[in-house]
Amino acid sequence: MAMELSDANLQTLTEYLKKTLDPDPAIRRPAEKFLESVEGNQNYPLLLLTLLEKSQDNVIKVCASVTFKNYIKRNWRIVEDEPNKICEADRVAIKANIVHLMLSSPEQIQKQLSDAISIIGREDFPQKWPDLLTEMVNRFQSGDFHVINGVLRTAHSLFKRYRHEFKSNELWTEIKLVLDAFALPLTNLFKATIELCSTHANDASALRILFSSLILISKLFYSLNFQDLPEFFEDNMETWMNNFHTLLTLDNKLLQTDDEEEAGLLELLKSQICDNAALYAQKYDEEFQRYLPRFVTAIWNLLVTTGQEVKYDLLVSNAIQFLASVCERPHYKNLFEDQNTLTSICEKVIVPNMEFRAADEEAFEDNSEEYIRRDLEGSDIDTRRRAACDLVRGLCKFFEGPVTGIFSGYVNSMLQEYAKNPSVNWKHKDAAIYLVTSLASKAQTQKHGITQANELVNLTEFFVNHILPDLKSANVNEFPVLKADGIKYIMIFRNQVPKEHLLVSIPLLINHLQAESIVVHTYAAHALERLFTMRGPNNATLFTAAEIAPFVEILLTNLFKALTLPGSSENEYIMKAIMRSFSLLQEAIIPYIPTLITQLTQKLLAVSKNPSKPHFNHYMFEAICLSIRITCKANPAAVVNFEEALFLVFTEILQNDVQEFIPYVFQVMSLLLETHKNDIPSSYMALFPHLLQPVLWERTGNIPALVRLLQAFLERGSNTIASAAADKIPGLLGVFQKLIASKANDHQGFYLLNSIIEHMPPESVDQYRKQIFILLFQRLQNSKTTKFIKSFLVFINLYCIKYGALALQEIFDGIQPKTPLLQSLIGLFELPEDDTIPDEEHFIDIEDTPGYQTAFSQLAFAGKKEHDPVGQMVNNPKIHLAQSLHKLSTACPGRVPSMVSTSLNAEALQYLQGYLQAASVTLL
Amino acid sequence: MSQRARASLSPALWLTVPVNMPTLDAPEERLRKFKYRGKDASMRRQQRMAVSLELRKAKKDEQALKRRNITNVSSDPASEQLTKGVSLNLQEIINGVNASDPDLCFQATQAARKMLSRERNPPLKLIVEAGLIPRLVEFLKSSLHPCLQFEAAWALTNIASGTSEQTQAVVESGAIQPLVELLSSPHMTVCEQAVWALGNIAGDGPEFRDLVISSNAIPHLLALVSSTIPITFLRNITWTLSNLCRNKSPYPCKKAVKQMLPVLFHLLQHEDGEVLSDTCWALSYLSDGCNERIGQVVDTGVLPRLVQLMTSSELNILTPSLRTVGNIVTGTDHQTQVAIDAGILNVLPQLLMHPRSSIQKEAAWALSNVAAGPCQHIQQLIACGTLPPLVALLKNGEFKVQKEAVWTVANFTTGGTIDQLIQLVHSGVLEPLVNLLTIQDPKIVTIILDVISLILKAAEKLSEKENMCLLIEEIGGVDKIEALQLHENPQVALTALNIIENHFCEGEENGTILPALDQDCEYLNHLTKNYQGPTTSKPRTTP
Repeated sequence: MAMELSDANLQTLTEYLKKTLDPDPAIRRPAEKFLESVEGNQNYPLLLLTLLEKSQDNVIKVCASVTFKNYIKRNWRIVEDEPNKICEADRVAIKANIVHLMLSSPEQIQKQLSDAISIIGREDFPQKWPDLLTEMVNRFQSGDFHVINGVLRTAHSLFKRYRHEFKSNELWTEIKLVLDAFALPLTNLFKATIELCSTHANDASALRILFSSLILISKLFYSLNFQDLPEFFEDNMETWMNNFHTLLTLDNKLLQTDDEEEAGLLELLKSQICDNAALYAQKYDEEFQRYLPRFVTAIWNLLVTTGQEVKYDLLVSNAIQFLASVCERPHYKNLFEDQNTLTSICEKVIVPNMEFRAADEEAFEDNSEEYIRRDLEGSDIDTRRRAACDLVRGLCKFFEGPVTGIFSGYVNSMLQEYAKNPSVNWKHKDAAIYLVTSLASKAQTQKHGITQANELVNLTEFFVNHILPDLKSANVNEFPVLKADGIKYIMIFRNQVPKEHLLVSIPLLINHLQAESIVVHTYAAHALERLFTMRGPNNATLFTAAEIAPFVEILLTNLFKALTLPGSSENEYIMKAIMRSFSLLQEAIIPYIPTLITQLTQKLLAVSKNPSKPHFNHYMFEAICLSIRITCKANPAAVVNFEEALFLVFTEILQNDVQEFIPYVFQVMSLLLETHKNDIPSSYMALFPHLLQPVLWERTGNIPALVRLLQAFLERGSNTIASAAADKIPGLLGVFQKLIASKANDHQGFYLLNSIIEHMPPESVDQYRKQIFILLFQRLQNSKTTKFIKSFLVFINLYCIKYGALALQEIFDGIQPKTPLLQSLIGLFELPEDDTIPDEEHFIDIEDTPGYQTAFSQLAFAGKKEHDPVGQMVNNPKIHLAQSLHKLSTACPGRVPSMVSTSLNAEALQYLQGYLQAASVTLL
Repeated sequence: MSQRARASLSPALWLTVPVNMPTLDAPEERLRKFKYRGKDASMRRQQRMAVSLELRKAKKDEQALKRRNITNVSSDPASEQLTKGVSLNLQEIINGVNASDPDLCFQATQAARKMLSRERNPPLKLIVEAGLIPRLVEFLKSSLHPCLQFEAAWALTNIASGTSEQTQAVVESGAIQPLVELLSSPHMTVCEQAVWALGNIAGDGPEFRDLVISSNAIPHLLALVSSTIPITFLRNITWTLSNLCRNKSPYPCKKAVKQMLPVLFHLLQHEDGEVLSDTCWALSYLSDGCNERIGQVVDTGVLPRLVQLMTSSELNILTPSLRTVGNIVTGTDHQTQVAIDAGILNVLPQLLMHPRSSIQKEAAWALSNVAAGPCQHIQQLIACGTLPPLVALLKNGEFKVQKEAVWTVANFTTGGTIDQLIQLVHSGVLEPLVNLLTIQDPKIVTIILDVISLILKAAEKLSEKENMCLLIEEIGGVDKIEALQLHENPQVALTALNIIENHFCEGEENGTILPALDQDCEYLNHLTKNYQGPTTSKPRTTP
């Protein structure tokens, strides 16, 4: 159906567009609905384009352009087997007009149309939009840089995918086409723009537009040169590189910005040029070699002359990274090896960029979470400090001795500066510590800290002379940055500093848990946690409970107190340290358990109102589990006390359906239930029916925990279930049925089934047995996976042991002919161990998850022992099969051998003979 | 069954399950499915792509497609006396060529040839536009005037050395047939010039090459090969033969190849550098393609000599012989075995250390295809000491060389045994590999991630996973892999995410498993839609 391109329709459309801007949803929603209902009509997009071009009302223009872009986004792609949502005539008309429209529109609308062009281009370019390139290139001659920048922006959004897509014939055909049409005009435009820059060197507004063009041109250069070095650009390397080089060294006061944070045009352009040079240096070394030294010099001069402001950060870190990548290549070694060069790089590039800046100080105080993430967890990829560090490591590859020598001098002089007047010069010491750290650490892991250190730096000496004194000072709140540095030093060099020194630092760290600064007390907690996980000889923990015993009380007190400090109420590092301390100290914490468990349940109650820190919550539940295990190991009867303390909170969590916590609650309950030695308490049985509610099982995160809990119920309360809750058995099996239908959860279904078979009195499940097998066979037939077959095999074995081979035979008799199964069983035994995960199994759990759901997180300290229901009874499944067959043949003599010989293939038969021989039995 | 199918929990449904008769696949079928999934060597070993697209400049190391016969007057003794002092302008040439007097024709043709032979700016375009070609073709047939035949053939040679259109003009004037006939001329100079002209025509592309072949040029060319002809003549013949072997889409017909191979084998034993170079180029063209074509070359028995030539200090012999052997090892396991038996693995380590990066690259490419073979081949690869130079290339090679080295490691990791993987890791491959994770090439990055993942799995089997994880973390791998989770290419991001999730989620070692963070779940959900499975196959295009 077509809409007329009439004034009346334009008027109607205007009305509706206006309504879509109304804040009142009662007016807005119907208007949006209406527009969607008519967008399938022919001419609808053309009406929008007419409006955005000709409407008198600016608001309507912008609104029409946004609506148009969204319409294109939703409808342009032609999906196979689905109707084409935009008629061909409209498509042609849109493509014929949109570039011109975009270029003649004001910026706000231009942006929307440019986005629309990219979306269309992604589908239609180049085959179905052959004129696009020529049309764009022709505009380069317009001389109107508003238009030119529009074209460049569109080109950038079309071409930028060349930077990350895999090479393919299709992609390269497109790039070739683009290069043929675009490379020369782009080069000419580049040259012309640079000339214009010198013509307009005194005209700030013209310069700004021209530099925007240069940035876009440089970005296009990167995209077009990414996949491989095109012939055109190799031939024109001189032009491009000479101009890039000039631009890198160019400065113009008119382009400098006052803004300290936001990068200006000059910075953006130079930063992109650094990227371009780095791309060439990395990928096209042979061709780029002769330009490289000039770029090294230019970039290095750039670094020397660039200030400390945040707006230069990206430029500086890009530039340093460029030097870092070049200096470790053997054939450019000579560019750096001169002592003066090295000194000047160290002095003018590395040291200044390692300084603690005002912005860092701000982050340290006001945004400590971010600060910690950057400083501790290495998410500092783009920072100046990180880049400087990388450059140090790069230089050390060939010049370790000289670089260490130069820096040692610096470290000493900075420490002297500090000593002269600590309260003014503390930043010097910070830089000194940072330098030592980056110099000394050659390899680092989270678990062990530094694993390889530069032998030229004496770490223990530095620790004793410069780190310990700071931490020993009475005032834990003085010079917080240096405190944090010192604690971090312990953390990362914990493998280099001898144990006796570490032991000295433990009470100091405990003391710093009281520091007001979030960074300082967090680091203290983290350092303690890391120290407590260190392993000594014989794989035991490096520190024994006895060695920490003198500090137990103060340690626990300070840890829990730290959770009350402002900003740290859900501090994951502190909670982890609590968990780790429990784990290390074991029985030593029992006297404190009543207080500890009270504090933990209070915390649990508080955070369950709005769980927001998953790591914190996880460690909290781990700490609860540890308390239970440690206490009940010594005194199993104490389990009741824990139930008393916890069940109230648990009930509240379950009633309020706190999704994040439910899987944890089930795990803790499993642990508690398993701790009971006698029959299941009635308080648990009351919960049983609720556990079978389908809604709980819809959440994948609950499943492992619920299965575990049901297993605990079956283990402790099978008789109670059979006698008092027999009507719930179908529900239980329903859970099993649901679980084995899913490839992700079938193993959980088997866990449950195996527990049922193992623990339930046989008569209570008799009537369901056949259906159980039918379900399993169905799944086997419909979607069989390695995991399923393995689980199935385990189940068959368990079943045989529990009910006897005869019962298995009977079940099979009732369902299907026997021999294919037997043959398959043998086939399974002889299958090579398959440890690959078939692709289709790899991601099932996610595919199975409708929308967002809490993921299951296993609590390590709620851990369950491996349970082997078969135990010693079946050592060798092959022999067990032979024996079972033997039993079967004794029961119905004559039938088995003939069945076996007629139905098994030769190979399977041969294997079976082997099993029978090994088991020394014969089939009767 | 759909993965989304959910059984209801209601007992009613649970009791009404229809009964089916399931059966399992035959065991051997399953076995194949498991053991060889995606690991078929033929999948990993591929030839240069049929139509390979290049953005780059044509390679400088390749053999010339067409050559002009350039000369200065002094080295032109055949015609010197006859032409002394004669210098004609274009119009005089046109008139002369169109005259009926053979002497005038000769003088004009020679003048034209001289213009076409000058070092700088030969007026090919002018001569073609002047419409001289049909007359020149006619002159080829004037067997009474061998000097005229010679001059005409030379002129045509140089016209055919021009653009495709210029070559086409020569062919369309019917030059091929008379040129083939001149191969039997009693005058050696005429004969030689005809060989050259045909070489230029065949070098234009598969179409004209096949025209030359179908004009029965090959038997005549082969008949000219003898130990008595001057070396320059033999060089010309060899070069023309190489052009008859050259180009694809389509390849030259099987019959032609079969005719030429014995002679090429013979030429390969020659001592002359140029003859050897062009023979090797010819063989490199013939060995480029399917296993059947490779088989033809291998069966000729050229491999031992080729491997010997791979040690040549002449780049123009080394390049094509290495290329040929590189092509051969893209073939079947048997064909590769023949190459190994001929000693290719003894030579490759030196070539990996060759000062020229293009040679390093071709050597690494050849090695990658050996590594794509069965583990016995990989064993020989280790035994011959290829790992240390390979690791050195990963460290310090140029990017194009590093790329091939990465492929080699990837194939090695996919097909090697656990023991072989241990040796690979011990050779220090991980650190340079991890450093390459910052390379601006998403394909290579994905391959490296796959290699790391395979190595981690192997370590897991040996219960060495924890140490392996630490090693990777120490060399900065974890930081880099973590950063790659944000890569714009969805497959790179997903592969990185999987490695982090499966191997580097903190805590397993000290008893805590961290919860997966919410955004990860959503991220993964989004990514799985575009995921196309792990990379195990190797598109081995022209190195």
